[in-house]
Amino acid sequence: MSINKEELYKKLAESIVDMDEDLTIEISKQVIAEGLDAYDAIVNGLTVGMNQAGKLFDEEEYFVPELLICSDAMYAGLNILKPHIKVGENVTKRKAVIGVIEGDTHDIGKNLVKIMLETGGYDIIDLGRDVLPSTFVEKAKAEKAEFIVISTLMTTTMEGMNEVIEILVEENIRDDYKVLIGGGPISQGYADKIGADGYAENAAEAVKLANRLVVAYGNEIE
Amino acid sequence: MVIVNFLTNNQSVTVEKGTTILEAARKIGIIIESPCNSEGACGKCKVKVSQNNLTGIIDEGKHHLSDEEKAQGFVLSCQAKVIKDIEVEEIPQNLNKNLQILNHGESFEIELDGFIKKEYNKNGKTYVTAGDDIIAEEEGDTTGLNYGIVVDIGTTTLVATIVNINTGEELHSVSALNPQSIYAQDVLSRIKFASDEKGLEIMYSSMINELNGMIEKNTKETGIDKKYIYEVIFSGNTCMIHLAANVNPYSLGKYPYTPLLKGGSYLSAHDHKLNISDKGLIYLPPIISSYVGPDITSGILATRLQDRKGTTLFVDIGTNGEMIIARDGKLSSTSTAAGPAFEGMNISYGMRAERGAIEYFNIEKDGSIEIKTIENRKAIGICGSGLLDILGELVANKVIGKNGRFCSSENSDLPVALRQRLVKVDGKIAFKITDDVFLTQKDIRQVQLAKGAVRSGIEFLMSNKKVLAEDVDKIQIAGSFGYHLRAKSLINIGLLPKEFEGKIDFVGNTSKSGGHAFLLNKHYRSEMEQLVKDIDVVELSNGENFDRIFVKCLSFQTIEEVA
Repeated sequence: MSINKEELYKKLAESIVDMDEDLTIEISKQVIAEGLDAYDAIVNGLTVGMNQAGKLFDEEEYFVPELLICSDAMYAGLNILKPHIKVGENVTKRKAVIGVIEGDTHDIGKNLVKIMLETGGYDIIDLGRDVLPSTFVEKAKAEKAEFIVISTLMTTTMEGMNEVIEILVEENIRDDYKVLIGGGPISQGYADKIGADGYAENAAEAVKLANRLVVAYGNEIE
Repeated sequence: MVIVNFLTNNQSVTVEKGTTILEAARKIGIIIESPCNSEGACGKCKVKVSQNNLTGIIDEGKHHLSDEEKAQGFVLSCQAKVIKDIEVEEIPQNLNKNLQILNHGESFEIELDGFIKKEYNKNGKTYVTAGDDIIAEEEGDTTGLNYGIVVDIGTTTLVATIVNINTGEELHSVSALNPQSIYAQDVLSRIKFASDEKGLEIMYSSMINELNGMIEKNTKETGIDKKYIYEVIFSGNTCMIHLAANVNPYSLGKYPYTPLLKGGSYLSAHDHKLNISDKGLIYLPPIISSYVGPDITSGILATRLQDRKGTTLFVDIGTNGEMIIARDGKLSSTSTAAGPAFEGMNISYGMRAERGAIEYFNIEKDGSIEIKTIENRKAIGICGSGLLDILGELVANKVIGKNGRFCSSENSDLPVALRQRLVKVDGKIAFKITDDVFLTQKDIRQVQLAKGAVRSGIEFLMSNKKVLAEDVDKIQIAGSFGYHLRAKSLINIGLLPKEFEGKIDFVGNTSKSGGHAFLLNKHYRSEMEQLVKDIDVVELSNGENFDRIFVKCLSFQTIEEVA
């Protein structure tokens, strides 16, 4: 019996938007059972669904709880499909280190951005919370990341973001990284002031921002 | 150099190119409220620039201004840099001239035994003692003249009350806006502002100046000579106490959030230039933690939580939600960051409790709505209690779904009267409260975050102490909302569990009433200093699953098995 691939991936995407984790698991298993390409299913099913959820979040249709439940479903599907990705097929992803700046322990916003970036195809190294500015730089170097993504909820700790950029400048490696910032007290004005590469108002915006920068970055290399 | 001409004030100032309108205004003493400390985040410092001058500024802030406002020439004064001569036509006045300030709170029968005592001696002198120390001697018999001042230092408002220490009688009370809020609205912005010497000096001296003004008003009104005022009690949150005592609050704003002051201590009024007796003292009640301050210690004292049998939950709702759970005298505390939504900040039509603010909102069976505004003026915005009423009623009437979304205006289950109020503002769905005041989807999200923070704090504290919602015998709500708040609204929006229904008391400004108790009886000081040491401080950010609990508490669903 031949199965309509596109139809199945569409259902997989819908199961995520509909927050139906059981269905996501069921379809993911079906993908494997039918011998379909796991990577294909991730890109055209899971990612598409999560991007739609992100769009709904951006449109204020979904809120934090919905986005998290969608991501639960997505990760459940990912767990099933990932082991079946054929070797060599795993394209190199763009890498980002992410964390909450020193002095702050509020990490729900950071976790949302992490989910959306992962969904958007980025390889994310999560440094956690209360992270020293120097640690952001060290880890970005060690991981050969292209992006440094910093979050904070507190006005009192946001200056740490500036320190990260200062360290990069001091070490003459400012142009090697794109610094993205976000969180409650942050604004585009602040991003401009400290010379960050971008500010995103929410998790869905963060992915769009990163993608825009990738395009710009790509051009630079050429 | 460029000239900024403030038409509203008939004043102009010459400044460097690139200066913001706010900086220019401050140079010549024109006050524009900038509660978020010029981060461009709150949108409250907007001013209107003459249409043909808009090319004279670079505007970096785009937050919180509607398309209509932008078209009219409104800009955020903290973000708009002046590059050519400009004229400022309008500065919206929002200076809390008519702010409602709650100045009474629950208390208990206080036994009079003040720290300050006066005794007349045969030698014709009156000795003033503070505890065991003689602090002053006065000619003749002045024993009848023994006064103290209780100051409730709120983040937004100050209340100073003059009290007769001998009789316990409250003689006069003066309220004012906390002058620091002009520079920085919320606690975190204030910590940041005061984290360098210059900022701290501004915060500290503006506070002391305001307090001296309030003391003077009290003495004028009562005819009491300030030299007979011997003690001042500072009741307020931990940050406010640091600022009032001229101590850098820097460490409060960074994990692990450690206060430099412990409270339960005295300062010299003379050193701090407070205009009372030269030998007078300032008492700082004990601090529980960085985010559970002397105002809560006062609250515990005022409600005698430690004496209550069974389980009592005390919650102070404001920009921070502080809470204490007391089980047969054993106390545990925590706090959550609710953000400024409850004070009308971050809400499109939000405002403080001033004239014209909607403070009450109700939906009748037929879908018609009933509102009350402060001083019965035309509605111009929504204050905290009004906001919770609006949300509570809209959720109860299913205009807002469990997930916080406005329902579709085509939804036929809704009464027509309500359906017609779902309109588009700037292309997005909003609820029309009056012709001038709307509630937007984004506003609902802000309230969800704020109430979710408080509710998750309650859930976390209860689960940490293995207490079920139905086991709580009494819930005491303190704080700036006062008595206007309806228990029904708190339950409708899920800020409190429905199991609390019928057990909720509003106890008012217990920071003030507890401060009184501290002034009038010295034994409460040692009692509370000891009690505070035994309070178990539960730190939410170290809690496992806290983020999951928080996320569940965002919804308007009745929350079951959250832990």
